[in-house]
Amino acid sequence: MKHFLERHRNILDFTVSSLLRRKAKNLALIVVYTFVVFLVASVVFLVSAIRREAALVLAKAPEIVVQRLVAGRHDYIPLDYADSIKEIKGVQNVKGRLWGYYFDPTTSANYTLMVSENPAIPSGSIIVGRGVARGLLAKENGAIPFKTYDGSYVFLKIKEILDADLEIVSSDLILLCEGDFKRIFRTLDGLATDLVLEVRNHRELTTIATKITQLFPDTRPVLRDEILRTYDAVFDWRGGLCIVVLSGAILGFIILVWDKATGLSAEEKREIGILKGIGWETSDILLTKFWEGAVISLSSFFLGVILAYAHVFMSGFVLFEPAIKGWSVLYPRFSLTPAFGFYQVSTLFFLTVVPYTLTTIIPSWRAATIDPDMVMRS
Amino acid sequence: MIELHAVRKVFNAGRSNEFVALDGISVGIESARVTVLKGPSGSGKTTLLSLLGCMARPTSGRILFQGREITSLPERFLTEIRRRSFGFIFQQFHLIKGVTVLENVMFPAYPLGIAHRVLKQKAEGLLEMFGIGAKAQSRVEWLSGGESQRVAIARALINDPEVIIADEPTAHLDSKLSKELMEFVRQMRSDGKTILVASHDPIVFEADVVDRVIEMRDGQIRDRG
Ligand SMILES: Nc1ncnc2c1ncn2[C@@H]1O[C@H](COP(=O)(O)OP(=O)(O)OP(=O)(O)O)[C@@H](O)[C@H]1O
Ligand SMILES: [Mg+2]
Repeated sequence: MKHFLERHRNILDFTVSSLLRRKAKNLALIVVYTFVVFLVASVVFLVSAIRREAALVLAKAPEIVVQRLVAGRHDYIPLDYADSIKEIKGVQNVKGRLWGYYFDPTTSANYTLMVSENPAIPSGSIIVGRGVARGLLAKENGAIPFKTYDGSYVFLKIKEILDADLEIVSSDLILLCEGDFKRIFRTLDGLATDLVLEVRNHRELTTIATKITQLFPDTRPVLRDEILRTYDAVFDWRGGLCIVVLSGAILGFIILVWDKATGLSAEEKREIGILKGIGWETSDILLTKFWEGAVISLSSFFLGVILAYAHVFMSGFVLFEPAIKGWSVLYPRFSLTPAFGFYQVSTLFFLTVVPYTLTTIIPSWRAATIDPDMVMRS
Repeated sequence: MIELHAVRKVFNAGRSNEFVALDGISVGIESARVTVLKGPSGSGKTTLLSLLGCMARPTSGRILFQGREITSLPERFLTEIRRRSFGFIFQQFHLIKGVTVLENVMFPAYPLGIAHRVLKQKAEGLLEMFGIGAKAQSRVEWLSGGESQRVAIARALINDPEVIIADEPTAHLDSKLSKELMEFVRQMRSDGKTILVASHDPIVFEADVVDRVIEMRDGQIRDRG
């Protein structure tokens, strides 16, 4: 046992001195490797955080939303439609929602204004999402000017800032009371932006949707499943982009590995030959090579993951801004809640550390299995 | 100490470039003696040394080391015998660049699992003995030829081997350093080491410390000394 530990200690000693000996090469390797891990980890973190938020969005989305179309465009829907829809069998509840987009010229961002029945929002006050607070540089109790339909301004005071856990949905959200909404947008009484339905039985959704279109041919019921499909399409498109970035990174990584795999330098081969000649076994040499690879890949791995974590969850993924841009019109600026688990980290580990270690061990193994007498012939 | 019976070594057996490097060698090497293998280039000296030093296995024939048959031992056991019982001084010295002299001397002992501290003391002792203790922390590429040679000898001695094997140790040395090397050989002989040298340098095979000169030609022994 003692012998075993001392042998390892000596071999580790050799590994450390080898690493330091080729400092420049190893540092370059770590830099490139860290960068690759950083890219891959950023994509993995981003995609999984967005997916998580999307799942949360959908869990809270109503099962059916009924919109009215006029000349092919979304228009206000009269509230008395709701009374007739409520009579359809299977419909539990119908509610009208009032909401709209507000463009803020000073920050050039769109916000979603939504009427809330929450009695905690009296006239003159609002509750805002984090993105809004950030965009307007506003704090609680700050007042924000809104330009109304006739060019005048109303000042609404921020009463509260929404929790972060659903940032992608609530980020651009401004909740206000009906009176204030109507002052800004001049919505007539008896109208809503859309209707949301509660349905008793999920299987009746399509039947109910058909009945609504029969009853009111100028409406369009949107099912949650359809929203899901739209979301999926959006995410898939983003995912596709991410895959382009990802495959670029992996390609770079393969080149790096290939170079390392084929590029066991003459000096390294000479060294392996000498060690064999002076009595090292193949396994001793493989052990040092294994440790060398492990030190390089583990340090790069952790560095890359930490940097990616900071990039995605702390700096607002600045590097991927262009790829996410389409969104930022809808959602002015949002930061993601860290969704970071064992699964992601182990996936990353198997995508980076394992192939690297394997590919560096193989050429070393080939060099280490040469006959010891070769050292006498060079 | 080492006995060879009808040893043959064939390279690339069965192929068009088949080459018989050693052909029917039978010889015994006595312990605590200096034996020199002499002969023209290509006569098989290095090949014979590598068989004697457990670095390679013969194609046929038997080799006994300290009365024990080693011909058919698996590689792991051969390595074990080699690193405990043999020390090697190579023609080009073959020191590992970029590392200190001290570490170079210690390397052959690393896989043995000797405590690092003990090993270090031993290596420092050897360097002192060869008068290069002051160079312990230098890198090997800064050394002169003579200094490199002493480091190579110290490295060969680190595991306290019974046998020292040197292949053309004077090939890169001038005559003054070559003579100095033979003095080190004398010193090792008086410490009871068995020394095997391959050389066609007269300074080596004509030195008075040499007990026996074996002459080789075309893979066979011409004169068993
Ligand atoms: N691995 C090998 N494959 C094929 N031929 C080999 C191999 N190793 C050695 N030989 C051949 O065996 C012969 C003997 O080689 P060896 O190195 O033993 O000669 P030597 O007496 O040491 O010569 P020198 O004085 O030049 O060092 C040479 O002709 C050499 O080309
Ligand atoms: Mg030779």
